[in-house]
Parts: sequence; structure tokens; C-alpha cells
Amino acid sequence: MADRDLGELLARMARTRVNRRSFLATSGLLGTSAYLAACSTGGGGTSAPTGVPASQAPGGEATPAPASEVESELFVYNWSDYISPNNIEAFKEEFGVTNFVYDIFSNNEELIAKLQGGASGYDLACPTAEYVPGMVEEGFLTKLDLSRIPNVKHINPTFKGLWWDPTDEYQVPKDYGTTGILWRKSLLPSVPASWKEFYELVKGEGSGKTVFVDSMGDVFVFPLKMLGYSLNSNEPNELEEARKILLEVAPHILALDSDTYGDKMATGEAALTLGWTGPLGQELADLVAEGDAGYSVPSEGTLFWMDTWVMLADAPHPNAAYAWLDFIHRPEIQAEETNYNLYATPNDAAKEFVDPEILNNPAIFPPEDVIANLEGAQDTSGNNQRIDIWEEFKSAIGG
Amino acid sequence: MAAITRVSGGMPVRPATPGRLRSRLLTTALLAPAALWYLVLLVLPLAIVVVFSFGVRARNGGYEPAFVLDNYARAIDKPDPFIASLQMAGLGTLGCLLVGLPLAYFLATRAGRRKGTLILLLVIPFWTSFLIRTYSWMIVLGPDNGLAGIIQGLTGDDRFGILGTPVAVLIGLVYGYLPLMVFPLYVTLERMDRSLVEASKDLGAGRWATFRQVTLPIALPGLVTGSILVFIPMMGEYVIPQILGYGRTYLMGNALVTDFLEARNWPSGSARAVGLIVIMFVTISLYLWFVNRGRKTREVSVL
Amino acid sequence: MSAPAVPKERVTQLPGRRESRPFDRWSGLVEGYFRTHTFLVYLFLYLPIAIVVLFAFNDTERRVTRWDGFSVKWFGVALGDSVVQKALTNSFIVAIPNAILATLFGTMAALGLQRVGRKVRLGFDALTYTSVIVPEIVIALSTLVLFATGFDVIEASFGVKINFGHPTIIAAHVLFNTSLVLLLVRARLSGMDRTLTDASSDLFATPWRTFRQITFPQLLPAIVAGFLLSFTFSFDDYVITTFVSGPGSSTLPLFIFGQVKRGVTPETNAVATMILAFTVGMLLLAQLVFAWQARRQGRRAEGASGMAGIITEQSR
Repeated sequence: MADRDLGELLARMARTRVNRRSFLATSGLLGTSAYLAACSTGGGGTSAPTGVPASQAPGGEATPAPASEVESELFVYNWSDYISPNNIEAFKEEFGVTNFVYDIFSNNEELIAKLQGGASGYDLACPTAEYVPGMVEEGFLTKLDLSRIPNVKHINPTFKGLWWDPTDEYQVPKDYGTTGILWRKSLLPSVPASWKEFYELVKGEGSGKTVFVDSMGDVFVFPLKMLGYSLNSNEPNELEEARKILLEVAPHILALDSDTYGDKMATGEAALTLGWTGPLGQELADLVAEGDAGYSVPSEGTLFWMDTWVMLADAPHPNAAYAWLDFIHRPEIQAEETNYNLYATPNDAAKEFVDPEILNNPAIFPPEDVIANLEGAQDTSGNNQRIDIWEEFKSAIGG
Repeated sequence: MAAITRVSGGMPVRPATPGRLRSRLLTTALLAPAALWYLVLLVLPLAIVVVFSFGVRARNGGYEPAFVLDNYARAIDKPDPFIASLQMAGLGTLGCLLVGLPLAYFLATRAGRRKGTLILLLVIPFWTSFLIRTYSWMIVLGPDNGLAGIIQGLTGDDRFGILGTPVAVLIGLVYGYLPLMVFPLYVTLERMDRSLVEASKDLGAGRWATFRQVTLPIALPGLVTGSILVFIPMMGEYVIPQILGYGRTYLMGNALVTDFLEARNWPSGSARAVGLIVIMFVTISLYLWFVNRGRKTREVSVL
Repeated sequence: MSAPAVPKERVTQLPGRRESRPFDRWSGLVEGYFRTHTFLVYLFLYLPIAIVVLFAFNDTERRVTRWDGFSVKWFGVALGDSVVQKALTNSFIVAIPNAILATLFGTMAALGLQRVGRKVRLGFDALTYTSVIVPEIVIALSTLVLFATGFDVIEASFGVKINFGHPTIIAAHVLFNTSLVLLLVRARLSGMDRTLTDASSDLFATPWRTFRQITFPQLLPAIVAGFLLSFTFSFDDYVITTFVSGPGSSTLPLFIFGQVKRGVTPETNAVATMILAFTVGMLLLAQLVFAWQARRQGRRAEGASGMAGIITEQSR
């Protein structure tokens, strides 16, 4: 307490969210001067990477601990229903984790906002990959000791060394997929195979029957890819062209909805959706079997997303967390995940245990040539022009 | 009002100091918990918001210290969500009033011994989850087996829909905010002295005149409270329009979510929020002042 | 407002006096209108609820908007689902203390505000309205920042680590709900008959006695209303709870909203139905108990005099 020396305090501060630290220094709401002094030495914003190895923080030991030291609790913060209950039970049994807390967030933005606001207490979280670099910079994550996660060797190299985590030390891939076009064959003159065809249909037969998911990054894929640009483009003139297209289709859109579009497609209220593959295995399962519903990865290329496991910097149960990360990438366990979630696994060894129907579904496991055409998403949420266009688009929907 | 001069609290004036001191202590004790909560959980967070509003977005989102006015400039530049919210909240409040006032009146004056049950029945629906209630409205109003479907069958118009239109949003709003309008009205009307109404009628006043000169003034505090409790939160509402309105309107609530969650531009969101708060605050003050012009009693003067 | 010379209670005691003595030729219509309107409103309120209950018996895997047949399986799922049960428990753990605190603080403040000068009252009012005005996401995020920063400071200064969890959620909820109760009680106070309180203090009753026997019973409807609303808000809240909750303290709305991403299942409907059944059941039970009690005490079966009496005025 009073014995805490300045060095220890500084080391702790280095680990804490930089923006909060800076805020404290500026607003002066809390008057502990020693604290403020410690803050102001580090102040200056988040423009420079923290550089302090997070593994030195109490949260991430550098030395492996034997399995017998696995704590009896694990706190996971994840999307809903994203882990197979069978796997959870198996894990609990094997490692003696009696309290497996699985809390849910409903979108990435909430997770990130909460972390940036200072929330803590969880061991593992599942953000989408493009947010990882930011989280690393802000010091939210523990640098992983890969020697404690031997099963990462099964992961296909395509998913390693990617721009969001070049050394693969901050995240472990969970699953991946694409953003594309869902269609109802019987309600359209033709099945769209490209963004261009999609564009024509939205203005034509699909007018008033099209749903876009309420996700800025995904929606921008459509105009940018159609024009042949990168979906992460920050070029003002490219974005301006995208804007025109978006405003052109806006009046034809039925709904901006990330959650119930599967339902709308199933009832026929919608014939087209710019969205994801989730509904194929659920609301649309019957129609897919009949051949009346399907999913196209547009020929011009589209977004490739990857969900990742990360360990938070102040994880209270690091041993259990490591145990989980290694456990989840055992081939049979990974296959169970895919069979449950219907999302593709990046783990090669797992493929032999995956249900063949799922494995051979090109919407879930895109073939090689399609993968070549995919572009990973970046975090473009800081681009004001994009935000302005997005707001304008949202205001224009439905005419 | 009363014959004897009173100090606050209604105690007769006594020269004894201990009495006054005790009275002050009592007042302080009464106000302390709420005051503490307001200070720590309202004033401080809002101070944070104000500080944020002058900052800039940190590289990865969030807040970075600075002192710029850009955020306010941008907020002023984009008034559309605010106007859309005003329209929606205005109509929604009106809807709640039209639906809620007769109900409150009935409960307060005609329901007799069933009052308690009916009041409870008013809130019980809200102990189910908001989301599934709203989804149920999607079924009720839907094109499949719901109202829209029925009307489609009747009129033969294949494209008729209620969901996705402002009507659906309005229904959802009134549904969600009704208790907030009814409860204040109820607690004021229930206190109403029926003998006044009787006396008024006995003296020959018409029904409408009685309503205007006896009932309405008594109901006024409840009316004001109710309309504020409904209108203000509606200004920030965005989930109901998103689900029942199919996300076709862009409101202040959406704008704040865009800023705080999608763009993670806390300074921008904070500036918009501060702007909204200030405007709403001024509006309420004007509203209250207007309503209480010429009123003598200090009770009604604030509510 | 001018108070009547005679307290209301005496007037309504007059035997044989009926409230709805036809006053003019519109009387029947007007009364009829009120009845119909009320009936329609309750129909409006419970129609979606009926659908919720109905679809709890939906024999489907995921889709909650199409009827696929009758089944009670989802009730089984709900009863066996420890996650849902934990969420439900958390909801109660948060909502009840919150309602109690908010009602207490709000009522006390309302009473206290009767006794202060204009300036203080206006200041308080400003705060009350501000708490209603602030959009949820703004207060949620800023409260999170405040807590996180505050907890860090406390940990650094005193070595005590405070975690996010039930207390943080309760604290955040109490803010808005205190204002709610405050506004309700004040609305009630503003129309209150002061002659009784004046008479009471004229007769040198202590403030506490005056409060207990005169003021409090008259305020009771507002206090109960405030309690109910506070509980309801907390039970149903999503945004604020999301931001200030911690591991293991997720409430039911968090669970349900989270489910939306993967499809809300009828399990949620089953949970909601069980909650409804429980509350309505308790309500009926309370009614029956009071009616039985009243009959036992030989009073004319005015029905649920106890229950209704709690919410109506009871100045005896």
C-alpha cells in the first residue's frame, strides 16, 4: 500500500489503457498528485506503441506452468453460442475447471468500447481480427507464450503471419468466413454471382426486397469491390465514388438488419441480402436443401473475416486460459466447433473430423481460387469520410 | 395559504434554535443519499463527457486529450438525426398521451377496488424481455400471419407492410413507454378530490368546463411529468426503430451508437451528447416555465 | 389549488352515494367510452405477451417467427439451462436492491425538497431532469470510465481491488430510478391536501408522527408506483448493464440480446412465460389471500381491500 514504490506504480501504469491514463492527466478529476505525476510521464496519447512487453505484467507468465496448476475458474467473453457446449464440458472435466463463466457480448464494437472504457476481469475474449492491432497497442492483451500452446502447429499457414498479428503472438485464430450475397432463387430472375449483378438486381427485381447487414465495414465492401478498389481504401475519391453507389441503392433497401435477415429471407420478405453465411444452416436450411436459397462469394472479391481468441492483459486465471487455448485446437475439438458453429476452422488437422457436408460446402469452406480473391479487413473506423458517408447512407435508406 | 406563518416543513415558528437545527439536519439527511448519487454517478460522469467532447479520437478509438472545437462543429453540421428524433419523439409522446390519459383517468376514478390489480397488470408485461416483446410485435404486425398479412389478403396488395414504416415504430414506442405516461398521471389524478368534480357539476358547469377547470389543473403536474418522462427518453431511443422500423430511420440514438461504438470516436459522440443534453435541458426549462406561469402555489411551480 | 373544507374521506362515506349518477345525456356514452378504451389498452398490452407465451410452445429449432408445431420441450431446456438461470438470478439480485434503494432515496429526497428554498430545489431539479435527459449509452460509457479510473486509483492508493459486478450495476441503475421515484412522489405531493398536515402540526404532533400517519399513507401510491417502475427498469435494462457488468454478473437482457446474433430460440419465450406465470400467479394468490382474510374478519367482502388498499389511498 504505502510501500508501493514508484517503479512498481509505473510498471502497472504502463500496462493500463493509455487513453484513460492520458485522460486522468488532463482532466485532473482525481487529485492524487503522485499518481498524476506518474501519469504525465507516460502521457502524450496512443500514437506510439506501448512497447512494454505485456508478458511481464502479472497477467501473462513467461514460463509455462504445469497443468496441475490450472485454476478452477475461467472467464470467457464471447459471442453467443459460439463454443460447443460439449467442448466446454470436456474441458471442465479434463482440467478440473469448475466455474466456466461464459459471458456474452452482442457485437465487436461493444467489446472494444468496454475494454477501452476500462472494463476488466475476463481471461479470454473473441474479437474479430482487425481489432487486434489496436488492442495490442493499447496494452489490452497478453503476449502469448506459444510454447504453452503446442496445438497451434495445426493451423494452416494461410492464417498465420497476417497483417494484424505478424508474429502470431497476440491471438489464436478461431474461425473465419466471408461476407457475400445471400439469394432466393425463386424470387429473382437470376442468381447474382458478382457485386455488379447484385447491384443491378437491387435496383431492379430486388428493389424493396433487399437487406444489408448493419455493419459499416461490410457494406463498404460492395461498392469498393465493384469498382475494383481495395475494400480498406481510404482514398477520398474512391470513397466518394462508393458513396454515390450507396446513395443510389439506398432507396431500394428494405432493411438494415444484422440479426433477423435470415428470417426475412426465409419468409420471402427479402430476396437478397448483403450478409453472412449463418442463416444457411438455420432459417434457410430447408430452402438450401431445395436449391432455392444460397450464398455467393462475389467474383470481384470480398471481405475475409477471422475471429480470434485473445488473452486479456490482466487475466485472473492465466493457466486455465492457456489450457483452453491449447485444448481448443486439438483436431477433434476444433472439428466439433465447426460442426456446431457452421463456421470454417483454420485448423488443418481438424478437417478430417469435420462433417463432410460442411467441409464440402463452398459457402463455408471457400475453395482455393476463391480464397485467393479475398481481402482481409482492416479497422477503418477512424476514417471520418467513411463515417459521414455511412451516416448519410443510413439516413437515405428506404427513401 | 395558511393563516399561521410557516417555515418550511410546516412547523410553527418557534424561537428555539435546537428545533431549527434539527429541522436542518433532517432536511440534509433526507437529501443526502440522492445528492450523493447525483454527484458521483451523474455529475462526475458528465464532467468526463464534457472533457471528452473537447478531445480528439485516439488512434485506435477512444479519447485522446486535446482542446478543439471540431467535434461541436461536426455535430452542428449534422442536424438530421436530431430532427428525425424530434419528430418521432413528438409523435410518440402524443400517442402515449392519447392512449394513456383516458386509461389513467379510468384507473384513478372509476376502477374502484380493482385499481391495484390493474396497476400491477400494467407493468407485468415489462417483466418479460424487451427483445422478445418487440419480436412478438414483428409477428403481430408481420406480413406472414400478422396484421399486414391479413390486410394483404383483404386488399390484394401484395406489397403492403406495416413493419418498416413509421406506423410500426409508433406502435412500438407507445407500447414501450406507456407506463411512464400513465403512472404520473395516475398518481396525480388519484389524488383528485371527486367532490370537487361533483360540486362543479352541482353548480351547473358543463362536462367540458368541469374537465377544463377542475380536472385538468389537478392533473397538470402528472401530465407534465408524464410527458417529460416519455419525450426525453424517446429522443434517445433507437432500438425500437431499428427492429420495427427495419433500421430505416437514422436517429440521435443511432448517431450516438455510430460515434461511440462504430467509429469509436468518443469526442465526437460526447459533443453530440452534450449538444443534445443542453438543448433538451433548455427545452424542459422553457416548458416548465410556460406551464407554471401565473401559478401561485410553489408545489406546482416546479412540476 | 384550493382545498375543500371537508376532508374527502367523509364525503365518500355517505351511504347510498353512487359516483356515476347520470349527469347529462352523455354520461352513459362517456362511461362506456372509458371502459372500452381501458379494455382495448389492456388488449393492446397483452397481445404481444400472448404471442410470447404461445411461441414458447413452438416446436422449432431456431426461428421464432414461424409456428412449427406444438411442443413443451423448450420449457425443459430452460429449466435445465444453468446459464439462463444464472442470468435470471442476476437480474433479480440487481433489480430488487436497486428498487429498494431508489424508492428510499427518491422518496426521502422528495420530502426533503419540500423543506428547502427555491435555489436548492431548482438545483436538484436540474440534476433530476439531467439524469433523465442523458442518453443511456453516454451515461453507460462515462460511468464505466469513471468506475475503471476510480477503481484503479483506489487500488493504487489503498490496495483494495474492486471488481465490476452486481454492485456496479446496482449503483448505475439506482441513479436513473431515484429520479423516477423522485418525480413520481413530487407529482403526488404537489396535489396533496395540506390541511391535514397543517392540522397535525398545529396539534403538536412530531414531524415523524405527522409523516407516518398523514403524509405517508397519502404518498403510498406514488411510492409503490415508483418501486414497481424502478424494478421494471432495472430488470429490463440492457445498455447500462452491458457496460458496467463484470464476469458472471450478466443479467437476463444481456443473455437474450446476445442470443440475437445466433438466433433467439423459444427458450427465451419459455423463460418469459415462466416469469409471467409466476408473477400473475402471485398476484392471484395475493388477491385470494386478502379476500379470504377480509371475509374471515367479517368485513363485507369488498374484495381485495388489502391489495387494492395498498395502492389506493388508505388514510385510516
